Amino acid sequence: MLPYFVAILIIAAIYVLLALGLNLQFGLTGLINFGHVGFFCIGAYTAALLGQAGVPWPLTFLVGAALAAIAAWPLGLVSLKLKDDYFAIVSLGFSEIVRIIVTSEQWLTKGVQGLTGIPKLMGFLGTGLSQALAVLGILVAVNVLAGLAKLRIVRSPFGRMLEAIRDNEEGVKALGKDPAGFKIQVLMLGAALAGIAGGFYAHYIGYIVPEQFIPLVTFYVWMAIIIGGVGSISGAVAGTLILMVFLEGSRFLRDIVPFVSEVDMASIRLGAIGLALVLFILYRPQGLMGDYSTR
Amino acid sequence: MSVLVELFIGGLMSGLVVGLAALAITLVFGIARFPNAATGDAMTLGAFVALSVSAITGSVIIGGLIAAVMGVAVGVGAYVLVFRKLAGRSSVANLLASMGIAFFVRAVVGLIFGHQQQVFQLPLVRPWRVFDIRIQPSDLTLATVALVTLGAVFLVLHMTPVGRRMRAVADDPGLARVSGISPTRVMIALWAMTGSVSAIAGVMYGIKTVVTPEMGWDMLLPAFAAAILGGIGHPVGAIVAGVLLGALQEMSTPLVGFTYKIAISFVVLLIVLLVRPQGLLGQAEGAR
Repeated sequence: MLPYFVAILIIAAIYVLLALGLNLQFGLTGLINFGHVGFFCIGAYTAALLGQAGVPWPLTFLVGAALAAIAAWPLGLVSLKLKDDYFAIVSLGFSEIVRIIVTSEQWLTKGVQGLTGIPKLMGFLGTGLSQALAVLGILVAVNVLAGLAKLRIVRSPFGRMLEAIRDNEEGVKALGKDPAGFKIQVLMLGAALAGIAGGFYAHYIGYIVPEQFIPLVTFYVWMAIIIGGVGSISGAVAGTLILMVFLEGSRFLRDIVPFVSEVDMASIRLGAIGLALVLFILYRPQGLMGDYSTR
Repeated sequence: MSVLVELFIGGLMSGLVVGLAALAITLVFGIARFPNAATGDAMTLGAFVALSVSAITGSVIIGGLIAAVMGVAVGVGAYVLVFRKLAGRSSVANLLASMGIAFFVRAVVGLIFGHQQQVFQLPLVRPWRVFDIRIQPSDLTLATVALVTLGAVFLVLHMTPVGRRMRAVADDPGLARVSGISPTRVMIALWAMTGSVSAIAGVMYGIKTVVTPEMGWDMLLPAFAAAILGGIGHPVGAIVAGVLLGALQEMSTPLVGFTYKIAISFVVLLIVLLVRPQGLLGQAEGAR
C-alpha cells in the first residue's frame, strides 16, 4: 500500500509542477495555453535522450527546461498578435505538432515504440521504496522552490505588471508599458516548469511514448487549476490532489467492478473530466478555493 | 500526371469534409463568438449513429438523416444545458465548456459504440474512367451532399427571417437585442444548424475513411484552420478554404509523408493569423 501511495504522490507532485506553470500563465497573466503538454513532452524527451546518452540527471532537467522555454519563445511572439481564443487554438495546435514530430522522427525518438530504459532518478538506491521516497523528496523540494518563486513573482513589480496585463491590457499600454516582453517571459517560464516536470516524468516512469502526451494531459492540468481555483498556489495543489484521487480512484473502481474493460474505464475517466469541466465552468468558475473578491 | 489528378480529387473530397466541419465552426464563431471545440466530437457521434442505423436498416441515406437529426438534438441540447447559461461570460469560459462537452461526447460514443475501427458497409462499385483518371461514383454523391448542405445553410442564412436575425446577432448582438430579436430563438436555430452540419460532415468523413472515437478530434485542427482561412463567420469561405486545405494536404502527402499532413494545416493557420487575420473572404474587423 505504501509504495502505491508514494507512487501516486510522485505523479501528483509532477502535476503540481505543471499546474504551477499554467497558473503563472493563465491565473496570473491570462494567457490561455492549451498546449501545456507540448512543453511537458519536450522536457520529457530531452531528459530521456540525454539520460540514455549518459548525461547526469540535474543537467538533463536543465537542458529539458531550457529547450521547452526556447520552444515557447516563438509561440510567445505569436501570442502577442492574437486574441485569447485564437491563441488557445494555436497553442493546442502547437502541442499536437510536437506530438506529431516525436511520432514521426523515428531516428531520434523511436516513434510510437517510444524510448525505454531511461535511467531512473536516484537509481543507485535500487528500485524499492527508498528510491521512490528520494524522488518524492526531490520533487517536493522543487515544488516548494517553484511555489516560493511564484510567490516572489506575484509580490514583485513584475507580478503586479502581469496581473495588470491580465485585467486590462489596453490600460497597461496606455500607461506606456509594453505587455509584449512580459507575456513572452511568462510563457517561457511556465514552459520551463513544464519541461522540468517532463524530466521528472521521464526519469521516474523510465519509458515514454508519444501516446502519453495527448492534449488530455493539458486538460487534466486545466481541470486541476479550475477545481482548485485559478491563480492561487494552494488551489493548484488542492486541485491536483483532488484530480489524482479521482484518476487513481477510478483504477480501484475497476477492481470492484471487474467487467469494465480498460478502454471503457478510460472513456469513463474522459467523460467524468469533461462533465466536471462543464459543471465547474457553469456553477463554480472561481474554483473551490478561488479568490472571490478580485475576479 | 493522372496520379496527381487522383490525389487532387481525393484532396477535394477530404477538403469538402474539412469545409463542412469549418462551416459548423465558423457559424458558432461568427454568431455565438467562441471557437467550439466540440465540433469534432459531434462529427464522430454523427458517423457512429449513421453507421449503426445503416447497419440495421441497410440504407446509408436513412443513417445519414438520423445522424443529422441526432446532430440537431445534441447541438440544441448543448445550447440549452450549457451555452445558454454561459451567455455573457468570456469566450474562454465557453471554449473550456465546449472542450468539456467534447470529452463527454467522445466518452459516451466510446462506451456505447466501442473503441474498434469500423467501416461503412457500402456496395463495391466499379470506378468510372475519364481520360485514364479513376472517379468513384460515391465521391460524386458525397460532393453533392456537401454542396446541398452548404446551399441549405446559405438559404437559411439569407432567405429566412431567422437567418436574417442570425446575421443581425452576428453583426452586433447588442443592437440585435434592442431591435427586439430574441437571442434564445436565434441561438437554438444556430445550434440546430451547427449540430446537423457537424453530423453530416462526420458521416461523410466516416464513409471516406474509417470510423473511430478519435476521428472527429483529429479533424478539429484542420477545421479551425479552414474556418480562420476562410474568414470567421463566412460560410462560403469555410468551404473554399476547406477544399484548398484538403487539396494541399493530400497533394503534399507524397512530399512530407502521412503523419505531417496535419502539420500543414497548422502552418497555414499560423500564416493566415499573422498575415491576413480576416481570412480570404472576411472583412477586416479589428484584432484577432
